[in-house]
Amino acid sequence: MRSLKKYCILLSELWLCVLLLLTGCGGTKKAEDKKSIRIGVSLYRGDDTFLNNIRGELEQCAKDFEQTKGVKVVLDIQDAKGNQNTQNDQIERFIALGCDVLCINPVDRTAASVIIDKAMAAQTPVIFFNRQPVEEDMDRWDRIYYVGAVARESAVLQGSIVVDCYRESPERLDLNDDGVVSYVLLEGESSHQDSLIRTEWSVQTLKDGGVPIEKLTGGIANWERSQASALMEQWLEKYPGRIELVICNNDDMALGAIDAMERAGAEGISVVGIDGTTPGLAAVENGKLMGTVSIDKAQYAGAILAIAAGEASGWESEPELELEEGKYYQCPWQIVVKN
Amino acid sequence: MMKNMTGKEKFFWISYGMALVVLFLLSSTDLIIKEEKVKIHPISVIVEADSDDNYVNFKKGMDLAAVELNADVSFITLYEQGNRRQQEELILREQLDGSRALIVAPVNREAVIQMQEQNSLYLPLVFINSEAGGEGEEERAAAVTFDFFSMGKRLGKEMASESLPGEKIYILENEAMSAAGRKFAEGIRSGVAEVLGSPAISYAWQPGGKSTALEKMTEGWTQRVIIAAPEPENLMEAAQLLQETENAGEWVGGLYGRGSSVPILNYLDKGIISGLCVTDDFSAGYLSVKAAIELAEGKAAREETYLESYYIRRGDLRDEKFEKILYPVE
Repeated sequence: MRSLKKYCILLSELWLCVLLLLTGCGGTKKAEDKKSIRIGVSLYRGDDTFLNNIRGELEQCAKDFEQTKGVKVVLDIQDAKGNQNTQNDQIERFIALGCDVLCINPVDRTAASVIIDKAMAAQTPVIFFNRQPVEEDMDRWDRIYYVGAVARESAVLQGSIVVDCYRESPERLDLNDDGVVSYVLLEGESSHQDSLIRTEWSVQTLKDGGVPIEKLTGGIANWERSQASALMEQWLEKYPGRIELVICNNDDMALGAIDAMERAGAEGISVVGIDGTTPGLAAVENGKLMGTVSIDKAQYAGAILAIAAGEASGWESEPELELEEGKYYQCPWQIVVKN
Repeated sequence: MMKNMTGKEKFFWISYGMALVVLFLLSSTDLIIKEEKVKIHPISVIVEADSDDNYVNFKKGMDLAAVELNADVSFITLYEQGNRRQQEELILREQLDGSRALIVAPVNREAVIQMQEQNSLYLPLVFINSEAGGEGEEERAAAVTFDFFSMGKRLGKEMASESLPGEKIYILENEAMSAAGRKFAEGIRSGVAEVLGSPAISYAWQPGGKSTALEKMTEGWTQRVIIAAPEPENLMEAAQLLQETENAGEWVGGLYGRGSSVPILNYLDKGIISGLCVTDDFSAGYLSVKAAIELAEGKAAREETYLESYYIRRGDLRDEKFEKILYPVE
């Protein structure tokens, strides 16, 4: 019996040794001095004009950062092509390739938990941008951030472009002089948080500003120029001579509406957009677009890079930007109309 | 239940439980199930441009090859378009940072070859938009490229045959032109001379001076001109300028060039660009990564892959063959 006890003790000790050996296999990572930052960026769609503008600015910010700080920045930018599964695969690849930070523009903002799970398991911080995950997801980890712009602010400013115009010269909007401005509405994706807010507050601002309005119709064009163009073409046929204003959730759809108007030879209809994309700003400049609401895209991209650099360096220096609740950064909007 | 067991039985069951735990832990390591380790090849692509605007299709091919062939590809643009020194610095930086092979669209091909010859650049190198390295570099150089001279010559011939009597042909050139752009311009000159018997005129194009460029260019003109832009960037600027200039049609009989980016194709679709030389950039991207991996593994000797190029006009944009090349889907 005594020898059996000895055996048991010996076996337990042996087992403990094996356990210690096996658990020690993972090893601990040595902290190393960062001479380069690797950032994995996944865009929900590579052909989105606004995101392409942000992407361009992000690349420029990375170059500026390299030149000023002497730290190499590797940007791995991928297009998720509107598919959440593709994006998930891209995130796995980013992690496998050792990205320091993930910058994700989620395809489906309600599916962010999968991305967060992967990032948390790999201890890789995530900066979401443009599409804000739900609050529960944002609160899951203190290394999750969001960079965006307040949708309500953009909508109120868009509405105020129309209000100012109406107050200045009502006849510019009320083309048939019936005392009512008849409008159509082009909305973005229904799953995007900004679509509903932009729609609601744009119209509300017109009402609050005393513009007499009547909605003829509206439709979802998913932020896309071609879809907006097709819808507008139908509406121009259905409501001949009645459309006086086109309110669009973004510039691409506004440009699509203008394309349809040009094809149909419809003149005098005012169109307003949001985003201040490069083609949108050009359309304001040449008078095709009544106005748009723009953010400073360099500031937007700069915020993403600043957070990424801060996280990659373990926040060695004080962050140059102020984050709301330590995780949100919202870029301010500004009105752009032709002078 | 344990009370009813004999000592041996207890020992057996405890040992059995422990063995299961150990086996479970071992299975999570390489000791029992050894997964095949995937070798990832770090490869850097350094182009001559300051943006990737003209490399969109190339990058799609590159990304596909990276996934299929297990490469970790970094795409790097210069801080300043066509800056040779910057490109050389970036080549050395990537070499130091652990790249196994480089893919380079050289600003100056000879300068890169010199780096190889002097052994400051010892990594395998795949040239894109240029021929491969010099003699003796067979083991570590390859090229995936297009015959820019023939491409330019064909365009020159097309331009010359489409021009009206008395119209002069101008080529927009500048110092920052890439090796490919220079070859292409040479080809245009040769093609024009062959058809018309008179040379094309070189015009010093200053990128960025958009508002006055066309005005300056048309100063003193007494006849209509045909314009050729050997660099996609210059073609974009010229097209934008023609679009913005109301009476451009009075002076400019046609705008020609090379490039496959979406904005350039849109200008062709709008009729602002009359004819275009296009290339299969998607295949170039894929094949250059493949060649780089092969060189990194010491598999391939020097090989120059020349891909097809095509001359297209507006109507060809809807052709299925060109749709596949110009708008590739991975």
